[in-house]
Amino acid sequence: MNLLSYCLKLILLAITLGVPFSLCAAADVNFSRDILPLLSDRCFHCHGPEPTHREADLRLDLREAATADRDGTTVIVPGKPEASELLTRITSSDADLLMPPPDSHRKPLTKKQTELIRKWIAEGAKWGQHWSFEKPVKVAVSPQEKSQNPIDVLVQRRLTEEGLTLSPVTTKQTLIRRLSFDLTGLPPTPQEVEAFVNDPSPDADAKLVDRLLKSKHYGERMAMWWLDLARYSDTDGFQQDATRTNWPWRDWVIQSFNKNQAFDQFTIEQFAGDLLPGATPEQKLATCFHRNHMTNGEGGRDPEESRIDYVIDRVNTTGTVWLGLTLGCCQCHSHKFDPISQADYYSLFAFFNSIDEDGKAGGGAKPYLKFKSPLVTRAIQEAQQVVDERRPLEAETRKQAEQAFEPWLAEQIRFVEQGFTAWHLPQTRSLQSVEGTILTQEADGTVQASGPNPRQEDYRLTAATNLARVTGIRLEVFPHVSHTEGKLSRGASGELILTDVKLQVRRQGSSQLRDIEFATAVADVEKTAKGRNYGKIKDTLDDDPRNGWTTEDHDPKQKHVAVFALAEPLVLDDQEELIFVMLHRSTEGDANIGRFRVMLTDQPGQAVRSLDPMPLEALAAVKTTEVSKLDPKLKARLLEQFLVDHGVYQRKKTELDRANAQLAQVKKAAGELNVMVLAERKEPRKTFVLERGVWDKHGAEVSRSVPKAVFPLPQEKTKDRLDLARWLVSDQNPLTARVVVNHLWQICFGEGLVRTPGDFGLQGEGPTHPEVIDWLAVELMEHNWDLQHVLRLIVTSRTYQQRSEVLPALLERDPENRLLARGPRFRLPSWMIRDAALQASGLLNPALGGPPVMPYQPAGVWAEMFMGRFRYEPSQGAAQYRRSLYAFWRRSSAPTFLFDSAQRRVCEVEPRRTNTPLQALTLLNDLSILEASRELARTAIQQETTVPARLELIARRILSRSLDARERAVLERKFQLSFAHYQKQPEDALSLLDVGQPPNKRNVAADELAAYMVIASMVFNLDEAITHE
Amino acid sequence: MNEQLRQRAFEVSRRYFLGRGAGVGLGAMALGLLENMRRAEAEKPPAIGLPELPHKPPRAKNVIFLTQSGGPSQIELFDDKPGLMKWAGKELPESVRGGQRLTTMTANQKQLIMPSRTKFKRYGESGATLGEWLPYHGEVADELCFIKSMVTDQINHAPAMTKYLTGHQLPGRPSIGAWSSYGLGSENRNLPDYLVLISKMKRPSDQPLYDHYWGSGFLPSRYQGVKLRNAREPVLYLRDPDGLPRNVRRGMLDGIAELNQMRLEQTGDPEIETRIRQYEMAWRMQSSIPELNDLSDEPESTFELYGPDSRRPGSYAANCVQARRLIERGVRFVQLFHPDWDHHSRLSSWCVARCRDTDQASAALVKDLKQRGLLDETLVIWGGEFGRGVAGQGKWDSPEGGRDHHPRCFTTWLAGGGVKSGMTYGATDDFSYNVAENPVNVRDLHATVLHLLGIDHERFTFRHQGLDFKLTGVEPSNIIKEILA
Repeated sequence: MNLLSYCLKLILLAITLGVPFSLCAAADVNFSRDILPLLSDRCFHCHGPEPTHREADLRLDLREAATADRDGTTVIVPGKPEASELLTRITSSDADLLMPPPDSHRKPLTKKQTELIRKWIAEGAKWGQHWSFEKPVKVAVSPQEKSQNPIDVLVQRRLTEEGLTLSPVTTKQTLIRRLSFDLTGLPPTPQEVEAFVNDPSPDADAKLVDRLLKSKHYGERMAMWWLDLARYSDTDGFQQDATRTNWPWRDWVIQSFNKNQAFDQFTIEQFAGDLLPGATPEQKLATCFHRNHMTNGEGGRDPEESRIDYVIDRVNTTGTVWLGLTLGCCQCHSHKFDPISQADYYSLFAFFNSIDEDGKAGGGAKPYLKFKSPLVTRAIQEAQQVVDERRPLEAETRKQAEQAFEPWLAEQIRFVEQGFTAWHLPQTRSLQSVEGTILTQEADGTVQASGPNPRQEDYRLTAATNLARVTGIRLEVFPHVSHTEGKLSRGASGELILTDVKLQVRRQGSSQLRDIEFATAVADVEKTAKGRNYGKIKDTLDDDPRNGWTTEDHDPKQKHVAVFALAEPLVLDDQEELIFVMLHRSTEGDANIGRFRVMLTDQPGQAVRSLDPMPLEALAAVKTTEVSKLDPKLKARLLEQFLVDHGVYQRKKTELDRANAQLAQVKKAAGELNVMVLAERKEPRKTFVLERGVWDKHGAEVSRSVPKAVFPLPQEKTKDRLDLARWLVSDQNPLTARVVVNHLWQICFGEGLVRTPGDFGLQGEGPTHPEVIDWLAVELMEHNWDLQHVLRLIVTSRTYQQRSEVLPALLERDPENRLLARGPRFRLPSWMIRDAALQASGLLNPALGGPPVMPYQPAGVWAEMFMGRFRYEPSQGAAQYRRSLYAFWRRSSAPTFLFDSAQRRVCEVEPRRTNTPLQALTLLNDLSILEASRELARTAIQQETTVPARLELIARRILSRSLDARERAVLERKFQLSFAHYQKQPEDALSLLDVGQPPNKRNVAADELAAYMVIASMVFNLDEAITHE
Repeated sequence: MNEQLRQRAFEVSRRYFLGRGAGVGLGAMALGLLENMRRAEAEKPPAIGLPELPHKPPRAKNVIFLTQSGGPSQIELFDDKPGLMKWAGKELPESVRGGQRLTTMTANQKQLIMPSRTKFKRYGESGATLGEWLPYHGEVADELCFIKSMVTDQINHAPAMTKYLTGHQLPGRPSIGAWSSYGLGSENRNLPDYLVLISKMKRPSDQPLYDHYWGSGFLPSRYQGVKLRNAREPVLYLRDPDGLPRNVRRGMLDGIAELNQMRLEQTGDPEIETRIRQYEMAWRMQSSIPELNDLSDEPESTFELYGPDSRRPGSYAANCVQARRLIERGVRFVQLFHPDWDHHSRLSSWCVARCRDTDQASAALVKDLKQRGLLDETLVIWGGEFGRGVAGQGKWDSPEGGRDHHPRCFTTWLAGGGVKSGMTYGATDDFSYNVAENPVNVRDLHATVLHLLGIDHERFTFRHQGLDFKLTGVEPSNIIKEILA
């Protein structure tokens, strides 16, 4: 009986009985499969390649050491289990002798496992290497098997041993959907499905695969894979998280895949494009791969420490992506399990240690390549188009608004006939000080401080107002005889320092306060202050006691005045009151305002952003009764004020402003960009082993060389990065090809043949089908590292084309589908889900490359994280509908809709495939999906006339198949329910439809559109819609 | 390899049994009894972490971590060194400095000693010393356990905070809250196990609060902290769009469930069963989470206790009230972040401002938990990523003076949850520069917190990229036995 199947049964038995799972004994003991993992897991920690933790000077990873005579005892005597100390120790009942020692927290060996070791020793303790360090070879196949796809031959061999067979081939609809997602990351269109289903030719599959591999979207799909491994990001990461312009490298990756560049060349250019003879700009561009790590610009950090971090990141990324080895362990010590020493690690480090960089971030992260991207032109055209579309809309609403201006102006003239009062006293409800100052209000609203004069003090004025709205607050400060020398305060100098002001709203009976934001602050005078110091009035808005307003340097015996503009007009009801807080919290204090008055206004815009007379004040002053006689300048100011309050116009203006801002941004990308690349410095740096991995603790000096356990090269062949790259993709290298084909397998099956794609070492999992991974690895190398060749081999196999439906018995037998007796079924990555929604709705903008775009994400995410330093503005127009690949990637805040993406801080290769309520919420409420639902609903209504036909269209666009009767019944019922709701509540329909960008044409009834939008959103949320079936 | 097999098999089985144990196995589902399922879901016993946990009887059920980001100055707040007055303005002896790295902000400046900018007072029966900027802390001093000998090896904010919260200076490891959530789960079915609250501040902070501080690293993402935003949408994507009322949403979800149910019958993939459940959980979160931000049912006395700032939603003080409410609702781990403790300049106004934000509410939280009988089972942790140096940054004797980062000693305090009250553990030298006795590494603190939760940090591991990772890392770490009640 096959070992693995027996094990699986045991697992199931263990599950059912609740007993611990244990490995089984088997007929033939295979060292690398059965014994090495046990030794590695239980013994190598103390008796492995790593010297510092080694106990009893014993190594069990080397045959010579393990079989050597040690003063009369021998750990392993081949053929003689009884004479082997190893067996005595792992079976001992004496806790002091037992291995692994109970206090090591390693799991004790089970009886089955010790039996296995006994058997292995008895059979001669045949040694070997860990499987992935052996050169891959193709297993023999019979002549009749040769005509079949080798994957199927080898998978079926296993299944036959298990008494299982492949599942039937899936439907053609599912197959084209599966292939389209795997090879282009997009679902097929209904027409493509139709054509494929109706193509009876025997090579229909092959033609389809060829078409997909030739699609320009193939390169995008593969690039998304590569960008995650490459930890590609549009920003540095860390504290400053500055923007970089490395996106031309991303486009290089897409183009390389679309050219089907051989993987060895792809590797060589990314490692050493700059060292190739006659290197082209594109080849230099390729080396950006090894500059995609995070860079740290934190103030106070030693740049050399950062530089060392970057080099380490390159070594670790190389280990994970090409070798499938967890080299990171060797940064601090020799690998505990794999035959890689710390010296090996720093010898690899040496290849990357002489880059002409100095550890800086932001704009100082040399070396750079000056690169002009040819892909910006289209982006500029798109951005220009948005401006061109919005400009006439803005102009038109402005014209409409201006028509309403004249009557408004006439009304204002009448209104100010009796004069105009700009500032109004609020009705004071209470006046408090926190530290004990006595505040007394006089009849004209002026407040005088007296009594104690604490060093620091807060004043709190609570007041109500009859104004219909509040747009600004004016603070007047006065000199007074009771102050020091009759100046502005009772402090030693008589000067004032107001550090901060706050405005809050309180509703009567509520325990809660609401913070009100100020937009600007202006004052008649302020002290000239440099840096963080006391002077400017605007510094009273930042809640920072280290700066604030003072009128020092100006006449302290004069009244001074400041005006604070609210960010939004504030409308209070009669239950609400205002709280205005004045903080005097300067470092030295003793500068509390002595006499002041607070007043409010309802005038908008510039009226509260300067101290000039407000437009209506000016209008009152000229005492005109006829509009025609007004000074044009004053009229212009009045118009401006009128427009500030014109909601419809403001909306159009904001839309135009955004489009203009986007255009300006995109135009910046048109010039020469700095792309971070590799280049050697003139003087190579020396490389040392870093003790315990600490950046400035130098150990022995090392030179460039490659780990010999993988495969050795003489020193003269390991001079530079070019040599390193060639070593990686040499056909002598046992790891790279296996690791790469495993990634390709993972793309198509959701899981690799090795399910720890970043760890092919002793602590990683073994392959589920060793013969398949080896076959494909050899095939890749024999075919000149042609990735498409291997992909084609995978996706045209019967194994790949199986149905994914599973019967309970098989599910129970093989819950994780390790035997491949059925097709893979797994949730699509979130980026594909979004792209699929864009495609299904017809919104997708299929353009290739260019500067990054900003898909919708909830407002405030960046602002919260960076306390306002960065703001996220969703892209306008066609740029919004680009594929997720082009989404701007802020390292410290990955796009929120990509709920399962790699974080791109360091290289990540394992899929993240969780299933959480937060994902459900994202798919239900993400603007991209909602807008796609609306547009798909519109198409359904426009193209079809009956309810069933419309539902059918939605299903075929999203699911690539027709509905069955039961499904149609559910959707029809749901449609009728929501339609009834929106007919009753048309305003709900209008607000639901108001998501994302307004459509170009709106020739559909709102209630119906909303009801179908609900249905489309439902279908987008079905398990099937987001699943690789 | 066999280990992996075992672990995966185990996870698969657990998922199955959870489904079947609740009486919603494939058969029952086939009947399409969605309403029943929903009820069964609500009545189901809570998800409770790993079956082998706790390893030992827990002393604390919940944790509230009051994270003070930026590096609060132990010299002004906790670590009274009256002897420093006579050193004022003198150069820090090299024997004390012992080659300590400085950030490049002060590396080229003379290390002139700046004595504490505050006066200290003794409080309570324990006689704890506290700087005058923390008067409310004084009122609860007898409830607190001050660890004055905290040590880290990181000197810059992001690496130090990453280490303080995840055990390692580079991003990528799970945070302590994620580990707790993974190991112990939570009793609340309608809320995440691990919630994060960040003070709303006006000033742009120099230290962003990265989401990896509460991330799940290599643990499955469901264990990551969920940030409760102080916004119209407290959790991202929680709000349904305008114009989609609850009854329409319910109808949609029923339809999705019904269709997913059919798909489940066709494919037999148990993942669909989980998805149906997660959509139901999403529905419940849509009502349970917005309720959290509504403090209107709190009596006036709460706001009096936590101070005037607690009336401002999003403030640190309001978040302290919130933290207590979350603990009452069974959330396992609540983490607050208060930014802007990085006082390189004008310490005596800047640091005071952060103390005023936090002092009363931190103390009130301890008092409030005690009054409600929750302090015994709730561990409160207060601290930042490192301390501050004894030398002045800028002129030591000018108002502009501040302090640079200092990793070799800082103070963290704990309260409740099985920790001795009214005690001080560890001490620093006369300069508050080096630890003089009982050093506590970040990993020791982590080991102790896990111990209080009933978890043996040595045995609490997760296999990732071929290694068994644990919160406390590879260097030996010790539970601080002396502070256990």
